[in-house]
Amino acid sequence: MPPQPSSVLRTRAQAATQVLCRVVLIAVGCALTAPIAVAGERKPVDFSRDVLPILSDNCFRCHGPDANTRKGNLRLDVKDGALRAEDAVINPGHSAESEVVLRITSNEPDEIMPPPKSGRTLTAAQIDTLERWIDEGAKWGKHWAFEPPRDAPPPDVRNRAWPRNAIDRFIIARLETEGLAPSPEADRTALIRRVSLDLTGLPPSPAAVDDFLADTTPDAYERLVDRLLASPQYGERMVWEWLDAARYADSNGYQGDGERTMWPWRDWAISALNRNQPFDAFTVQQLAGDLLPDASRDDKLATGFCRNHPINGEGGRIAEENRIDYVMDMAETAGTVWLGLTFNCCRCHDHKFDSLTQRDYYGLFAFFNQTPVNGGGGNPQTPPVVDFITPEQSTHLATLNEKLSAAAVAVGILEQSLFPRPEGEPASASDKASKTPPEIAAVLKLKPGARGRAQLDQLEKYWLTPEPAYAAAIKAQREALDARDGFNRSLPRVMVMEDIPNPRPTFVLSRGSYEKPTDPVSANVPASMPPLPSDVPRNRLALARWLVAPENPLTARVTVNRVWQQFFGTGLVKTSEDFGVQGEIPSHPALLDWLAREFVRSGWDMKALQGLIVTSSTYRQSSRVSPALVERDPQNRLLARGSRFRLPSWMIRDQALAASGLLIAKEGGPPVKPYQPSGVWEEATFGNKRYQQDHGDALYRRSVYTFWRRIVGPTAFFDTNARTTCVVKPTRTNSPMHALTTLNDVTFVEAARALAQRVLKTAGPSPNERVELAFRLVLTRKPSSEERRVLLGSLDRARREFSADPTAARKYLVVGESPRDETLDPVEHAAYTALASAILNLDEALTKQ
Amino acid sequence: MDPLALNHRHVTRREFFGRTACGVGTAALASLLARDGLAAPVGSAHVGGLPGVPHFAPKAKHVIYLFQNGAPTHVELYDYKPQLRALHGQTMPESYAAGKRFSTMTGDPKGKRVLGPVEPFRQHGQSGAWVSAFLPHIASVADELCFIKSMHTDAVNHAPAISLLLSGAQLPGRPTAGAWLAYGLGTETDQLPAFVVMTSVSKGTTCGQIFYDFYWGSGFLPSRFQGAKFRGSGDPVLYLSNPDGMSRNLRRGLLDDIAALNDLKLRDFGDPEIATRVAQYEMAFKMQASVPELTDFSSESPEVLAMYGPQVHEQGTYAYNCLMARRLIERGVRFVQVMHAGWDQHGSLTTELYTQCRDTDQPSAALVKDLKQRGLLDDTLVIWGGEFGRTPFIQGNFDDRKRWGRDHHPYAFTVWMAGGGTKAGITYGASDDLAMNAVENPVHVHDFQATLLHLLGIDHKRLTYRFQGRDFRLTDVHGEVVKGILA
Repeated sequence: MPPQPSSVLRTRAQAATQVLCRVVLIAVGCALTAPIAVAGERKPVDFSRDVLPILSDNCFRCHGPDANTRKGNLRLDVKDGALRAEDAVINPGHSAESEVVLRITSNEPDEIMPPPKSGRTLTAAQIDTLERWIDEGAKWGKHWAFEPPRDAPPPDVRNRAWPRNAIDRFIIARLETEGLAPSPEADRTALIRRVSLDLTGLPPSPAAVDDFLADTTPDAYERLVDRLLASPQYGERMVWEWLDAARYADSNGYQGDGERTMWPWRDWAISALNRNQPFDAFTVQQLAGDLLPDASRDDKLATGFCRNHPINGEGGRIAEENRIDYVMDMAETAGTVWLGLTFNCCRCHDHKFDSLTQRDYYGLFAFFNQTPVNGGGGNPQTPPVVDFITPEQSTHLATLNEKLSAAAVAVGILEQSLFPRPEGEPASASDKASKTPPEIAAVLKLKPGARGRAQLDQLEKYWLTPEPAYAAAIKAQREALDARDGFNRSLPRVMVMEDIPNPRPTFVLSRGSYEKPTDPVSANVPASMPPLPSDVPRNRLALARWLVAPENPLTARVTVNRVWQQFFGTGLVKTSEDFGVQGEIPSHPALLDWLAREFVRSGWDMKALQGLIVTSSTYRQSSRVSPALVERDPQNRLLARGSRFRLPSWMIRDQALAASGLLIAKEGGPPVKPYQPSGVWEEATFGNKRYQQDHGDALYRRSVYTFWRRIVGPTAFFDTNARTTCVVKPTRTNSPMHALTTLNDVTFVEAARALAQRVLKTAGPSPNERVELAFRLVLTRKPSSEERRVLLGSLDRARREFSADPTAARKYLVVGESPRDETLDPVEHAAYTALASAILNLDEALTKQ
Repeated sequence: MDPLALNHRHVTRREFFGRTACGVGTAALASLLARDGLAAPVGSAHVGGLPGVPHFAPKAKHVIYLFQNGAPTHVELYDYKPQLRALHGQTMPESYAAGKRFSTMTGDPKGKRVLGPVEPFRQHGQSGAWVSAFLPHIASVADELCFIKSMHTDAVNHAPAISLLLSGAQLPGRPTAGAWLAYGLGTETDQLPAFVVMTSVSKGTTCGQIFYDFYWGSGFLPSRFQGAKFRGSGDPVLYLSNPDGMSRNLRRGLLDDIAALNDLKLRDFGDPEIATRVAQYEMAFKMQASVPELTDFSSESPEVLAMYGPQVHEQGTYAYNCLMARRLIERGVRFVQVMHAGWDQHGSLTTELYTQCRDTDQPSAALVKDLKQRGLLDDTLVIWGGEFGRTPFIQGNFDDRKRWGRDHHPYAFTVWMAGGGTKAGITYGASDDLAMNAVENPVHVHDFQATLLHLLGIDHKRLTYRFQGRDFRLTDVHGEVVKGILA
């Protein structure tokens, strides 16, 4: 029987009162979910929470699901193995008479488990837990994440004033048992900045701040949240994590790294988020839109999600090897995004820890194994595709085609006189052609219109001197071909999913190798999970619907956990990519389950879920922290304070553009190429790819529209997913390289200049007013008097420096392509630019607090 | 005001750190700081690293990996097989290649003709190591080198093979060796990154393989452990230079102001991450000075510069990068990965291979000599090698000598090491008499990795990182230390 959450909490509360509590408390902070053994009155051991992690971590490698590495014919991952009657290793109720306990407590090197060479040892507390579990009857259970979410109401709590909604009752219930109080609400300026960044990725405008501060109605904050959720910037912000998960990029990756045109899919995703498409429909459309009855163009477009994987066009690659890679990528991406499970281990063998088998893996693989893609070549628009060609583009393409045909006809006419031969014969049949080298004759055998790019090159080179007029005609044809192909390649065609009529057989691949098929498998979901309905075709549509079926224990949990992670920095399950046995147990299991059920009950309503989170008292807390609380809960897993963590790098850029007034709000369309230090692409590709920076508005578009070359991502971003595989958990590091970027990148220097100009032109004339506006534009709040003193001092220093060297001031003011208001005094403008740059680099500016 | 909040306001930074430094809170704070590589205070010689690592006394403290990207031909350069010369032009005996997988360019190896090495071999030094006439400079330091002639790998194409060699897995996404070492051992400088990468390619190379950034990626380790790519032109570190018009003096003042404001924030909010941020901005400022100093070769003697050859003055060349590698490890950098592309001789054994050797031979040898004369070779491990070897049989037309080539070959190839606790002047392992298969003391890529870690005092099975529920390591689930090459 699963324990009530409060029992866990009470155990920990008691721990806190023990004499040795300090050490334990740190353990609570660092690994909140680790079971903690304490003396005194004990609560029953819970299998899933307390026992399974110990077994999984220490025993499953040799006594787990993988039959090939199993030792001593003993399985400890299934009840039939661990509690087997014959040759029993566990004697329920009697730990002292259980072989398992004798082995884990043995002093003999060749007896003790885990064996010394495994490098693993059990702690005294872990041994104690296992003993108690056996003494209590060795109750078996399932890993929590494979059980359906429990239907438990929010707990009763002592502090009834604090909770605003159900989330808060779960959070404070835990705090109360830990003996902690929540933090006071953040002040209103902090709140509006926090929630604006969270929901739109942009800081609030000063006008929005003023409106909010002036609005004294009780639901002012809720209405602010509604406005933000309804703004078109919402989708542009929310899509980031989805693009990371979908490994979206604007090029193939690998050698060649050809540019692809998947951006209409990206725009579709933004629009789906903006119109709050229910997450179940969002899921079905992306995994199987093409299989929906009367699939629309959008339905097919949505399946671009699956095709966002890299394409390897490296010479020498075997097509089938590539194809298998692509299918694995699609299957593993779905496994991570919806099930929160790591399937990749099962490519080669049964999972070492989770009850996933290699057969399960290839069962999932089989759903995606049915597209007509054969894996050959590096075409970044490998069919099946849906095109998004406008009528104008279509007309232009037709014109280019006509020009090409005309150029080929012109060549043909010249060849009539140049290569006299019988009517109907190719040019190669002429005397003149017979005297050319075989490769030239071979090209001449083809009709002029049938010659390829390289062949035209050959001809042109060969005839350049002997027949310059003819060579010129060939050149014209080549140029027309280049013009046509270049334009054609740039036309948006989105790679999408489609199933071949006769299913391709799928086999288990030995060691995951394409050349070693073994047993045939049919498309199926993992055996340890609820089955597919028996009356539907086993295709991607069935899989997608199964993922979002109410019986699925994982999808809703995994999804709400990712949303939670987005707002609080860490998921309720910290390992948002792994809900398996080796993943971390939720910090607030009942809350996770409640949210999952609520999400499904609401019709998978994403905006409702996010609205609920950001209007909670939990979310609204101040992120100030006392040393005692840092010590107690360094990672803020208990949420006795608001979250405080560095913004994603793309959001730091968008914030700078918005605060400076440079931001261009245009939505959607082909990717843009903002500033980038010269030579980065060239160096990575031996000059094959040249970065052609855009100009004008394209420099100031939101970061989500920045062109993403897979082999060398945009340089202005850091801690981003490399977009080669699905990633659902952000990395947040703190490095000097990041500081150099935000101090020196043209985008940031120019934003500082524009911000300074905005301040000089719109604030009052006193430095005090100007400094205050600059500060407010970035941080929303006004500076304290102490901060004001530092800022004014900084301004004075910069002014002195630039007064002494006005040339330097002028140089500093020409960074970036946006025009400067030349009526502004350069020294003054430069000094404010330096100040603005400092503000944009404050910890608070880089941080959501 | 709420007393708790009031209390926050009164905790100064000094109190905050002072208190935690002697209280039990140290563990919590240390974990935060350790995560950001600041476990040791800025300014000390050792930054970051894990407790308990190295696991035992290391022989090497630094690594310079001269990675020859594209797979240099072991057949031409190091693996001397008179039998290849004897069978030159004849059909490859079937028993050597039967059932083996080659790239699609070769497909079935049946009926391919044996190609003898293009240039003659000679024995060198007291060790009598066989080195081709292609590499006279490397031959001249043969007595310092430890050749492993029995390397073999699983992958047959470049990107997967390089990824396997550097990260232990064919698919991108795992941490590379340099990232593992930066993570495990930390570094000995607070002025420069722990792991630095530089790339080059010979001029006129037609078949250069792209340098993917996952070749120096940190995989699932925090991204600050990834190799810092020093660029071949312009600022070696992206965004290193202040914008035009921003003097170093003004930058200093602005950073002081930023620090002062951040300090106020730290006092107010108590988030230790703020202190880390201040430290990182400081290091950025230091790098702005240390990197230009690093790239200023004016302190090098003419003799040393001459040793590396004429290209040493040209940023972005292999020679320049080799000298930079020495200067980096001198300053405490842990792992320097110098990568040179263009070794993919599918049809250029008699043409571009000469250029490859001309550009890399002298600087590679100079680096070994230079380290040796400075006493740095003892604790610096130098590695020279590519991702696989090349077929002993021909790719291309036997009668067209100008286009002779060799295809990818994972079954045997040669790498050499120098210094860092390896035996000098030995040859370890061997391929068969046609340089086809590693037969004597074969060294798999994972064994090579285990050995590399061992030389740095690390048990490859114990340097792990948990990701997606599994403890990952550089050697995947394989690897045996090659004891025969340990000094």
